[in-house]
Amino acid sequence: MARSALKSLQSLKDLAGRASRSGGRPADETASDPLIGELRAALSPDRVRSDGAQKALMKKDASVFEGGVSGPLCYPESTAEVQAIMKLAEKYDRGVVPRGAGTGLAGGAIPLGAPIVIAATKMNHILEVDLDNRIAWVEPGVINLDLTKHLAPMGFHFAPDPSSQQVCTIGGNVANNSGGPHCLAYGVTNAHVVALEVVLPSGEVTVLGGLDAEPLGYDLRGAFVGSEGTLGFTTKVAVTITPNAPDVRTLLLSFDTVRDAANTVSAIIAAGIVPAALEVMDQRITQAVEAYVGAGYPTDAGAVLLAEVDGLADGIKIDAERIGDIGRQHGATNVRQAETDHERALLWKGRKTAFGAIAQIAPDYYLHDTVVPRSKLADVLEQIYEIADRHDVLVMNVFHAGDGNLHPLLVFDGREEGKLDAVHAAGAEIVTASVAAGGVLSGEHGIGVEKQAYMDLMFTDDDMDHQARLRRAFDPVCRANPGKVLPMGHSCADIAALRSVPADVWG
Amino acid sequence: MDLKLDPDDLNTCVQCGLCLPHCPTFRVTGDEAMSPRGRIQLMREVQDNDAPVDDDVLRSFASCVQCRGCEPACPSSVPYGHLMERTRETLADAKLMTPGWQRLAFLPLANPKLLQAGSAALAVANKLHLVPKRLGLPEEIRVDQKPIIASGDDVYFFTGCVMDAWQREVHHAGVRNLEAAGFGVTPTNELAPCCGALQAHAGLAGQTRTLAEQMMGNLSVDTRPIVVDSAGCGAAMKDYGHLLGTPEAKAFSERVFDIQEFLALHLEKLPAVSALDVRVAVQDPCHLRHVQRVHEATRTVLRPFVRELVELDDDGLCCGAGGAYSVLEPELAGDIRDRKVAAIDQVTPDLVASANPGCAMHLAGAGVPTIHPMEIVDRALRGI
Ligand SMILES: Cc1cc2nc3c(=O)[nH]c(=O)nc-3n(C[C@H](O)[C@H](O)[C@H](O)COP(=O)(O)OP(=O)(O)OC[C@H]3O[C@@H](n4cnc5c(N)ncnc54)[C@H](O)[C@@H]3O)c2cc1C
Ligand code: SF4
Ligand code: SF4
Repeated sequence: MARSALKSLQSLKDLAGRASRSGGRPADETASDPLIGELRAALSPDRVRSDGAQKALMKKDASVFEGGVSGPLCYPESTAEVQAIMKLAEKYDRGVVPRGAGTGLAGGAIPLGAPIVIAATKMNHILEVDLDNRIAWVEPGVINLDLTKHLAPMGFHFAPDPSSQQVCTIGGNVANNSGGPHCLAYGVTNAHVVALEVVLPSGEVTVLGGLDAEPLGYDLRGAFVGSEGTLGFTTKVAVTITPNAPDVRTLLLSFDTVRDAANTVSAIIAAGIVPAALEVMDQRITQAVEAYVGAGYPTDAGAVLLAEVDGLADGIKIDAERIGDIGRQHGATNVRQAETDHERALLWKGRKTAFGAIAQIAPDYYLHDTVVPRSKLADVLEQIYEIADRHDVLVMNVFHAGDGNLHPLLVFDGREEGKLDAVHAAGAEIVTASVAAGGVLSGEHGIGVEKQAYMDLMFTDDDMDHQARLRRAFDPVCRANPGKVLPMGHSCADIAALRSVPADVWG
Repeated sequence: MDLKLDPDDLNTCVQCGLCLPHCPTFRVTGDEAMSPRGRIQLMREVQDNDAPVDDDVLRSFASCVQCRGCEPACPSSVPYGHLMERTRETLADAKLMTPGWQRLAFLPLANPKLLQAGSAALAVANKLHLVPKRLGLPEEIRVDQKPIIASGDDVYFFTGCVMDAWQREVHHAGVRNLEAAGFGVTPTNELAPCCGALQAHAGLAGQTRTLAEQMMGNLSVDTRPIVVDSAGCGAAMKDYGHLLGTPEAKAFSERVFDIQEFLALHLEKLPAVSALDVRVAVQDPCHLRHVQRVHEATRTVLRPFVRELVELDDDGLCCGAGGAYSVLEPELAGDIRDRKVAAIDQVTPDLVASANPGCAMHLAGAGVPTIHPMEIVDRALRGI
């Protein structure tokens, strides 16, 4: 099977090797296991699972990584239940892995070392919408788009709109500080979270941040957002809700080359326009998307730019015209404006399903996520095409151009001999090239297990030591999401050196 | 074990999870094993990694409604429905799924006389309140209804099994509408006793193939369109091309039309009458929306005949009926139905139009005022 080949990933092998050397408990956790018994007593028997099927599924999220066999899987329904799980994890010296919808692309939700998985999917209630203060309190398992749909009749929405918004959870958005096409003007998740109720690895419940404009003390809320589940489990989130714009215009610009599109993006921002979104897709991805949605994307263009402006009707009419003009000055071969809501929705559907649509071309993909200075976009893109060609891997580019957030997609068939190694080699060069151009490791997908090995490209030992100390302040034994984010040497003696069970054991 | 799934089909899933919220069983459980992505992954574990087919794996497969809501949501075009049908077929062949009593229960469908007898017994049981109310059987099951008489040879009208026995008044409405649009209608009756959809869902595709071949043999003396007023049957018949894989079967499938789809193409032939003074919510049967993908036609056909048409805000999420599903998985089916009922309550319709007998019965079991779109058009045309 193609995907199982991905197991061979070197860093995970290392982890597994390290873990098995330290010895671990056998996979066979029967119902007589006292941990499971206590978990079941604390939750309910049907919400604590440890069957082979469940564990097999927990090994994966939407990334190419495959974790080890997980410990018991819990579906809590309240803060108190999460607290009980955390306390039992402490009692039995187990790690815990928070899990939302499992759409993460960096392997953040996969288990390393037989941890207890805490799934947020049953904590999915919108608790309160306070229109006066423009705040909504939600449980972590609420699906991003469900919140926006719930707010629609009131004229509001939740601004961060990852392409996975129809399925990813608010808790996952918080943990990964996720962004989306419309975060160019509105900011990523961090800008939309005011307070968090958190169960710390010690089992203590605390609220980080607050509803006041200037909460007292350190901004620990800010530390938690983007911590990828390594500081605890968030059980309630207070998010700001954003009024819907009175009017919106969506333009589709076609270009002969990706360079022309990238230059247009820089010129639009330089002209002082702040579009709601600026998204570029190259020809290969445009063709794949068009085959799926049939939204009228030009399949003969070298690249397309999807630009959206929102605000008052008069103002955005002018902005839209200016964007069209700037595009034409930079080589746009065609400028089209969506005439109807339906047309607009189709264009966005195409953009937002781009990652999935590539399966029309090959069965596997590895989606990278780096950020480069906007002015370097065109140069880095050319390097990326060159790197991929050299490794004989197909690369497609679809990216949040306004932020310089690149998403090079390496598309391949994992069943082909040696392909996976080529993909990883190309990926490493792409990340290195992005950082060398003054960029950063991850735009929005997080570090997880994926980017651990690259952390030292960006951070000095000192930097990482400080991060490890912050983590230890929350979690002295690294109980929460062990083995993630910080390279092993820098994190604490990760929970019993990541106890593990053989990866091929069912059950 | 080898589930006999095409490895390429299985490989098209990239695990993105975009299908999850469109899956009714995932929606009500939040359980990955009850999601399309989870089920596909378990198929892989079984077929590629030789994972045991234990109770939990079977539970995952058996709890799928086969609504195929996951298919249009999938950007990779994973042929989920076919994967699940094949999985069930392999497991049923290995006697791991679909116990003997279930196999027996499907037999009468293909045999009108048996069905008549069974229905008569059921009608009596229902009258005596022996049938659980949640099954939503019509108050009175009328087994000796007026036969459908041929009026010409422009189109075949597929009468089928259960629906012909229990909801023949819907057939009459559909036929009258076709006639009002100027088409002479031939009912298929014993030429095509059953489409085999329920059997295929249960992993008994062998039975379905036999029924398909029988039907094709009888209806292929000419190339008339075959009009179907049950979304589930229409979807199954449109799939014969895939099921049998022959050019004849493909040609046959192309002759099959859902009745809303067919009338939408001939709307101008229906007489102009005044609209009924009702507010109607459209409930899209999954096999009309996700499989046949012709659900817009229901709106096109209804619009001229009602005061107001309203949409449910649930992206066409399944109602939980799923053919025999509501009987086999009553608890999940009930939870799924609760969501649908909540979506219906939000738009406060007078009537809910459903183009599938199973959905209509399942929803009626929760007190929803369901009606087939063809009955609405019929009432408007007849001014009653
Ligand atoms: C098709 C596709 C498109 C995508 N597009 C984008 C995009 O445009 N922008 C973007 O930023 N990302 C994108 N992603 C990545 C992913 O969807 C986001 O990272 C998302 O926020 C993850 O949410 P989730 O609920 O799936 O979390 P999971 O994948 O389940 O978990 C992600 C991380 O969050 C932690 N976590 C989850 N819940 C909690 C909790 N309650 N408390 C503490 N920690 C928790 C987990 O431990 C893990 O480390 C995309 C993914 C896919 C498959
Ligand atoms: S067919 Fe329906 S129930 Fe089955 S996995 Fe797909 S969406 Fe879920
Ligand atoms: S079935 Fe399609 S939508 Fe669902 S996870 Fe697989 S590729 Fe994604």
